[in-house]
Amino acid sequence: MVMANDKLVEIKNLSKRFEALSVLDDISIDVLRGENLVVFGRSGQGKSVLLKCIIGLMHPDAGKIYIKGNDISLLSMKELNDLRKDIGFLFQGSALYDSMTVRENLEFPLQKHFPDKPQKEIDEKVLNTLELVSLEDAIDKMPSELSGGMKKRIGLARSIITDPELMLYDEPTTGLDPITTKEISELIINLQKKLNMTSIVVTHDLICAEIIADRAIFLRDAKIAYEGNITELTNSADSFLRNFFSHELVKE
Amino acid sequence: MKIPKIRYGRRLTYADYLYNFFATITGLTIFNIEFAKQMFKTPLEIGQIKKHMDELGVKTFGIVSITGLIIGLVLTMQSQPIMQRFGATDFLPAMVSISVVRELGPVITALIFAGRVSSGIGAELGSMRVTEQIDAMEVSAINPFKYLVVTRVIATTMILPILTIYVIMIALVGTYLAIILMESMSLKYFVDSVVTTIEFGDFIPGVGKTFVFGYLVGMVGCYKGLTAEGGTEGVGRASTTAVVLSSLLILIFDMVLVKISLWLWPTIS
Repeated sequence: MVMANDKLVEIKNLSKRFEALSVLDDISIDVLRGENLVVFGRSGQGKSVLLKCIIGLMHPDAGKIYIKGNDISLLSMKELNDLRKDIGFLFQGSALYDSMTVRENLEFPLQKHFPDKPQKEIDEKVLNTLELVSLEDAIDKMPSELSGGMKKRIGLARSIITDPELMLYDEPTTGLDPITTKEISELIINLQKKLNMTSIVVTHDLICAEIIADRAIFLRDAKIAYEGNITELTNSADSFLRNFFSHELVKE
Repeated sequence: MKIPKIRYGRRLTYADYLYNFFATITGLTIFNIEFAKQMFKTPLEIGQIKKHMDELGVKTFGIVSITGLIIGLVLTMQSQPIMQRFGATDFLPAMVSISVVRELGPVITALIFAGRVSSGIGAELGSMRVTEQIDAMEVSAINPFKYLVVTRVIATTMILPILTIYVIMIALVGTYLAIILMESMSLKYFVDSVVTTIEFGDFIPGVGKTFVFGYLVGMVGCYKGLTAEGGTEGVGRASTTAVVLSSLLILIFDMVLVKISLWLWPTIS
């Protein structure tokens, strides 16, 4: 089923629960091409579950997800995998393959997505992508030899190496110091501009969101509690949002 | 592929243990069906199979060599006084070689292999599961079952019979060493005695069942690893339970296969 419009991702009435716990309840979101949407929320509020439903790693209990007009619940495994070629996913812990070098980590999706691609082109692509994240020197290192920030960059490089149209970021700056957080956030926004990608970023890091977000939503109690641009959210008079974004504890 | 979850915790009831028993059987059955479905699907990942065989061979070569030598030495040292009492020490090579080829070589090699390999696979895949590496593979449009499970199970199934034949050879060397330490026996007599005693048919049930043991070791390790959950504790649990379950299944299947081989080849039993 194909719907022609400028919406790259459409989520309609999505619900997901784990036994008695409802984590997403009747969520509807549209993401336009070229837009950067930031999804805020406290820990355990279903932000990562939302991303995993979009990429098809989890199946929603109810609702529909359309990517490029395709209802992903109706796609065969082959069709879903073809669609996944256009989607990058940066995992919270980077999820680099421990047993592979940085070069092999980056080669792997290329070799699997494009089995007929000549090795010379793969080598060039790997080098060019590592240059984008400024880590050409790490090409022959193992993931265990990299710092947290470097792992995020390599994870990012692996996610964008197939030139995806849509990037999904799961807590891209968690556990990083403020300077590295800014660097990674700048890197994400620069890559987004350079490669003309659409992004959905799950985070509770305000520094990251301020750099990246065109629009933000806030998940609370399994629903979208607030929606707007980042300034609207941070300047809101709502005591819950003030608590979330300020350094002081405000009584609700 | 929906695998039933195993219940963990400190306050499990008898009902939970019973549930876990059936959940494990169901999970393994689903894994076996999926394996049969995926095995001949392209890409065959021959490179990965070769890589795993190579790694498994290198990993276990040292320990099975020592094991083989000790099986031969100990079995001979234990049997020699009894055989001497009956004046039948000339039959030592025949008796020990039959025991090693038919039962001890295959089963002990399989148990050592389970301890070394099943735990390794369980820990490796478990660690990949809890650090989202398997999700990353799926997102990259790679079938993790085909890439991680099928290749490993084929590798363990192929490599264990080779290791078993090697262990049998080493055990016979150990047997001869033990004999010449206690008795005088020429190498020619020893070799003639072994060759005339062991028929080619003895190898069929002996080495043949190690294909099944190798399959079990790979399958259980992959099942436990791929279904691991709960962080580092889950990885440790996957590794430990993989060894316990695969060792148990080796012994159960050994009993069944011995019964089948006695039924199929009554003359060589």
